Amino acid sequence: MAFITIAPPAQPGSLDASTDLQPSLSGPTTAPAAGRGRRRFASLRTVPLKTLPSHVLLIALAVVSIFPIYWMFVTAFRPSSDALSTNPLPGPLSLENFQYVLKTIPIAGMLANTFGMALTLAVSQLLVAILASYGFARWDFVGKKALYLLFVGSWLVPFQVTMIPNYLLVSQMGLLNTITGVVIPQLCSAFAVMMLRQHLEAFPKDLLDASQMDGRSSWRTLWEVVVPNLRPALAALGIMLFISAWNEYLWPSLIMQKSDALIQVGIRGFLGAEGNNWGAIMAASSLACLPIFLIYIFLQRYVVDAFVRSGLK
Amino acid sequence: MRPLRSIALTIAVGTAALALAGCSGTSQASTVSTQIIPELKSDQQVNITFESYNLAQAGVWTDTVKGLVSDFEKAHPNIHVTAQAPQGGGAVGSNTVSSVQTQLLAGHAPDVAQLTFDSLDFAATQLGAQPISDLVGQKAVDDALGGAHPFHPNAKHLADWNGKTYGIPYVFSTPVLFYNATKLADAGITNPDLSTWDKVEAAAKAVSAKSGKPSLDISCASIGGNWCMQGVFKSNGAQVLSDDRKTIGFGSDAAVDTVTKLAQLTKDGVLRNADSSAQSEGLAKGDTAFILTTSALQGSFMSAATKGGWQLKAAGMPSFGGKPSVPTNSGSALFVLSQDPAKQRAGWELIKFMTSDHAYEQISTKIGYLPLRTSLTAAGGSLYDWAQKNPLLAPNLAQLDRLQPWVSYPGNSYVQIDDILGKAVENVVYYGKDAKTTMADAQKRAQDLIP
Repeated sequence: MAFITIAPPAQPGSLDASTDLQPSLSGPTTAPAAGRGRRRFASLRTVPLKTLPSHVLLIALAVVSIFPIYWMFVTAFRPSSDALSTNPLPGPLSLENFQYVLKTIPIAGMLANTFGMALTLAVSQLLVAILASYGFARWDFVGKKALYLLFVGSWLVPFQVTMIPNYLLVSQMGLLNTITGVVIPQLCSAFAVMMLRQHLEAFPKDLLDASQMDGRSSWRTLWEVVVPNLRPALAALGIMLFISAWNEYLWPSLIMQKSDALIQVGIRGFLGAEGNNWGAIMAASSLACLPIFLIYIFLQRYVVDAFVRSGLK
Repeated sequence: MRPLRSIALTIAVGTAALALAGCSGTSQASTVSTQIIPELKSDQQVNITFESYNLAQAGVWTDTVKGLVSDFEKAHPNIHVTAQAPQGGGAVGSNTVSSVQTQLLAGHAPDVAQLTFDSLDFAATQLGAQPISDLVGQKAVDDALGGAHPFHPNAKHLADWNGKTYGIPYVFSTPVLFYNATKLADAGITNPDLSTWDKVEAAAKAVSAKSGKPSLDISCASIGGNWCMQGVFKSNGAQVLSDDRKTIGFGSDAAVDTVTKLAQLTKDGVLRNADSSAQSEGLAKGDTAFILTTSALQGSFMSAATKGGWQLKAAGMPSFGGKPSVPTNSGSALFVLSQDPAKQRAGWELIKFMTSDHAYEQISTKIGYLPLRTSLTAAGGSLYDWAQKNPLLAPNLAQLDRLQPWVSYPGNSYVQIDDILGKAVENVVYYGKDAKTTMADAQKRAQDLIP
């Protein structure tokens, strides 16, 4: 869709002297604005004729993808009596469902807790991934391949298999019903390690050698040379990890028997044996989506980049 | 890359096998002495956990149960109750046993748990539920179920097992035929007699002819509705399990005849094929005019009727010809799972409180569940006014006199047996599969799972 026209994020800020010498690792060098404008103009003239069927298909897929989100907001902003309405047009507008949600569950606290959990997970997984992938990419050591295979293997094991052993471990640590208990077994993401390792494998060895000749230790090289050059990739990965953590449901629902701590567990409270309160579910879900929407609006290029990198690397 | 992938898969499979090995063995034999547990001293502080699936549902469900727990703690200042919802991501009420099992694995099962009646056998034989009548004595149980407003006789012993009381019935519903009286009036039917399936079919045909689409939903015939499908079978003389609890009866002539009659409703264009969620919303949205479903949905139907400007009415479960209908109950009982005498005593005090007159006054008026102390709704009872304002309660209360228990299957595979029956009934009723061969096959597969 838009992937081919959006350039990877530009390198923010300037690097130190050694990194200035290197080409950008974030993607192809961007062309001058005028040239880019001419190419876009040319492509716009040819797109309708050559790629019309593809674009029609993509538009249809986009509508199918967006419709559930649209329906969520339409239902959320209807009066509860119209929650089962099948009228595709919005209205009548009402804040009744939001008022009910705010009155019934402590949604602000839930959103804050969930934000804290997702941020902690994203930062910790990113940190572990940086250190592990740097180790894999920088040095050759005995058992390196086997160790990496263990990471790959742990990624292939379905979560449902490790769920109960992890639950027992968290229980023995006395962390049930705590957000810490939700976070601890997920501090390391094998996916993040694998993805960053791919990036670091492509990192110019000359740059690392230059850093060593400058007298930097491996630790300083990591933080002063490698990480600044990987900022776009790290930002993209961080966003992806945050979104993934934010959307967690099964594991938190196992650990948190308090239904008023995390938003994804809290939304379930409007589903029941005596009927589902769809208006409240949609209103709570709309509020739960807001942080992700804000990320998408303000960091759209990084988000797209994250998905492109994860798919192509 | 191929060898790498195969090594990775080998590691994954090995890890999975090890993890699964760690998951096995949740059986918890019930170890009980027949000695009556001592009363708590007035200054003896006890902490207990109470797991209730009502706490998984936001709004009046959570507020009412929390309010009752708070009232209990005020009445028993030496007992502190941690009230919690079941863990896991399942639908409300569907994961009560698995939640207790998981916590048992970790060595901290709840002290008191609200478990559904279909798991009674499993709870008593595998989950470690304690026989309350042994813990506190049969007289104490009888006293608790009695009082000025005793439990309905057919509700008292729904959680008894092998002559002992393992659980005290807490909340349940019966199958009720709700209908949109406005739609029926539009089709020329007023004050309908819906006491038999033939009469229901005739009325539904009239409404369907007017609307041009199926007008009847039977949630009992869909997966998840087996608790009331058992009642439909019993109403036609069939049994899902023999009295000696050894033989599955899905393939009996009476059972085959039952599902054949329901399948005919589909063929006649009056019974709608919809999942359980769509069914419960069908009446509310005006897509259908009848639904045989749990009486617990009464509140949401009343709300939809008020907002939609149509008249909601209710009738009892229909019968087959001259045979009386036999409603079964859904719902749950409260069980003591703790092995500690002090916690068992505290748990019993909590159970007595949660099934007291005061509790049913709160539960019925706020949540809308049926009060099991039915005389509370009679003249002079504290729920009399409430019952008068809710005339839809009448058929629900009336059919308690014919109530028979929701059968729990023996063994560890009781959920699978229930699934087999649910799929077989759906295949016959909605998808036109041959009733005799489908039900016989289901019987054989279910029988293989009976220990």
